[in-house]
Order: sequence, then structure tokens, then C-alpha cells
Amino acid sequence: MPNIGEDGVVLRAAGLAKTYDSRVPFGRSVEVLTGADMRLGPGEVVGIVGENGSGKSTLLQILVGALDPDGGSVDVAGRVGWCPQESRLYERLTVAETFDLFGEAYGLSEDAVESARDDLAARLDFERFLDYQVRHLSGGNRQKVNLAVALLHDPDVLLLDEPYTGFDWETYLAFWDLTEDLVEEGVAVAVISHLVNERERFDRIYELRDGRLHEQEVPS
Amino acid sequence: MSRLGTATAAHVRSFAREPVNLGFLFVLPPVVVEVYGRAMATFPEFPFATAGAGTLGRVAGTLFSTAFVAGLLGLFQVISARRGDERLVLCGLGRTTLLASRLAALVAATLAVAAVSLVVLSLSTAVSAPGVAYAALVGAGLLYGLLGVVVGAVLPRELEGSLVLVFLADADSALSTGIFATDAPLVEFFPLHYPHALFTDAVTTGTVRGGDAAATAAYVLAALAAAFVAYRARGVSG
Repeated sequence: MPNIGEDGVVLRAAGLAKTYDSRVPFGRSVEVLTGADMRLGPGEVVGIVGENGSGKSTLLQILVGALDPDGGSVDVAGRVGWCPQESRLYERLTVAETFDLFGEAYGLSEDAVESARDDLAARLDFERFLDYQVRHLSGGNRQKVNLAVALLHDPDVLLLDEPYTGFDWETYLAFWDLTEDLVEEGVAVAVISHLVNERERFDRIYELRDGRLHEQEVPS
Repeated sequence: MSRLGTATAAHVRSFAREPVNLGFLFVLPPVVVEVYGRAMATFPEFPFATAGAGTLGRVAGTLFSTAFVAGLLGLFQVISARRGDERLVLCGLGRTTLLASRLAALVAATLAVAAVSLVVLSLSTAVSAPGVAYAALVGAGLLYGLLGVVVGAVLPRELEGSLVLVFLADADSALSTGIFATDAPLVEFFPLHYPHALFTDAVTTGTVRGGDAAATAAYVLAALAAAFVAYRARGVSG
């Protein structure tokens, strides 16, 4: 069971603001976030949608701590798993070596890494690629590894940026099966995508528009 | 294995699996040493020099190839893996541990390139004090490897960073040979000045001047401090 804040929320963002200033004189500044608020409870699946360039990836990078906001705050209770849009892996390490390295960063024991790695590889069907270097993987398989690295340490909050890009239909379904199991265990999941096809899979959906998050109706 | 050990092993594996790195390591030193040697062999003998012009050319080429290759490897250590490093830090690997692992991998690469360069030189030139010569090359390599880290942290683009290193190492190598008639005291402050003096003496006369060794060590420590500050100041998302 994840650590839960006093108000039953595992992630809360309040008043997030971010502007990208030009590095050259007289260049244009781009205001991306102007006061974005969101919350995420345990066992919730939340979608965050928005047009290209609306600031979805900026928002997610702020939520995981990869980017400092100009204003606002983020509070997280528990371990965070982050699946970035670009895989951010080491091209010349094998998949197995990648898990060893990130497992060490998470502070996991060798046995725990091996167990979680084998479980995720079986679940997402990339067992036969464990000895492949990352640069030799197809886009879909690379994305599976990218997702698995985010899940390796059994996170309480899972933040996914375009997680199923490159997945075939079988893997897409396997992804949602896995997500449903995680949600049953109480993991909070936020999925960022420019397209949300199956809205019924989400408990809530936010649309990022004009720098703010607007909650949308979800069909029951 | 410790966190530092696992991260260092991963960086060394990544380095060894990159064909460009292996090209730099095994192809550049022989080419540069030979080109410098042949080019300078056409010069008249220098009355103030302790060896012939061709030998001095090979000595300069050995030092340049070691410093330049180590500098590039330091630069690539910081730039190429930047996105992966950011994710690793967010996953919990300390930034200081990450930097230490990058520097440990850089030391391993520098030991290798210095060894290759010295072997190449010794095929054509008698080296009077090989141990001291190797130490001088390692000092020059570490110095430029750390400068590569600084350049990569400040200017995180491979092409631009490489050009800065080419210019710096080229000018530094040429001026540190001492064959140009210049009384400018600024030359003594260039990074390769003391390693070059140390290396030349080790190859030609087998002597060691304590002042050159101490100055080389001091430059390496100063570059280490600069690399630490620049890398830490870069921030997670840079």
C-alpha cells in the first residue's frame, strides 16, 4: 500500500508556473504553465491531454523533479516512477545491464532487481532481448524497457509520458492489464498523451490548455 | 558491487563498445605521433634543444594525442550520456556518485590512451625514463579529460565542444614545445606547459624536475575542482 498524505492524496501540484526565457537578447519567451493544479489519489488513473506544444512534458518533468518550476509546488507521498517520452537510457548497455544500473540507483538488491526484471520482461514480452544493447532495440521494444525501468522499484506514483508510443496492439493491451493490476495494488497512475482513445480507462482526465489543467467529464 | 562500482563499470562498458572511442584510442596516437615527427624532422636542429627536431616532434605528438583524446572522452562522458545521467539521478543515484563514476571511467580511459601513446612513441624513439614519461602523459591526459568535462558542462554540444578542445589543445601543444621564440610569460600558464617539460625530460634525458611534477599535479587538482563545480552547477536538467 502506498504512503498516503493526510488528505488521501499521493501527488498534489498547486499553482505550477513555467516560462522558457530566451537565452539571447530580444528573443521570445514562451509561457508554458500559468498556474496548473492537479491531484492524484491512490489507485487512480488520470489522463492528461493537450495539443502539441501545450506543455504536457514540461508539466511531467516538473512533477518528477527533472525541471524546476518558476512558481507553485509539488508534494508527493511515496516512491515515484517516471517513464519519460524519450527513453533516456544508455544506448550501448544491454537491457539486463540497464536494469542492474537503474536498480542500483533505486537502492534495490541484486535479487530484487533480477526478480522485478524477469517479471516485467515476461509481462511486457521482452525476455529474449535482455542481452541486446538498447541501441539495437526497435522503437516498441525500447519503449517497453523504458516503461519497465520506471516500474522496477515498485513505485507508489507512476507518471507516464506517452507510454504506449510504438506499442503494437498486443503490447498496448498488456500495458493496460499491467496498469489495472498496479491500480488494484493502490498505485496512482498519470498518463500523458496527446491522444486518449479509450476514455473509460481513466478515472479523471485533465486537459492542459492555456497553461492550466481543466478537469473534463469522463463517461462512466 | 557498490553503487560507484556499478556505475563506473557501466560507463567503461559504454566507452569500450563505442567504435569512435576505440578509433581515437588506437588510431589517433600513431597517426599524430608520426605526422608530428615527420613534419618537425624537416626543421633545422634547435641549438637549445636536448634532442633532434624529429624526436621533439614525436614527443609533442605523443603529448598532444594523449591530451586531445582524453579531452574528447571527458567531453563525450558529459554530453552524450546527459539524458541518461539525468534519469539516473532522478532514480536516486547521487549526483556526486555519478560524477565520481564518470571521473573513474575517465581515469581508466586516460591510463589506456597514455599507454597506447607511449608504446607508439617507444617504437621509434628511445624513452630514457618510461615510468616518469607515462606519469607525465597520464597527468596531461587527466588535465585535458577534466577540461573536457568542464567544456561539456558549460557548452553541452558535441560539435562546438570538440572545436573548443581542438583549438585549445592545438595551441597549447604548439606553444608548450618551447620551439617558438616567445618571451610571453602567459605561455607558462597553459595547461600543457609543465607536463610537456616533464615528459620531454623523461624521454630525452631521464631526469625529473620536481617543480614540473608539482605544477602538473597542481594543475590536475585545479582542473578537478573546476570539473566538480561545473558539473554540479549544471543542474539536473541543465
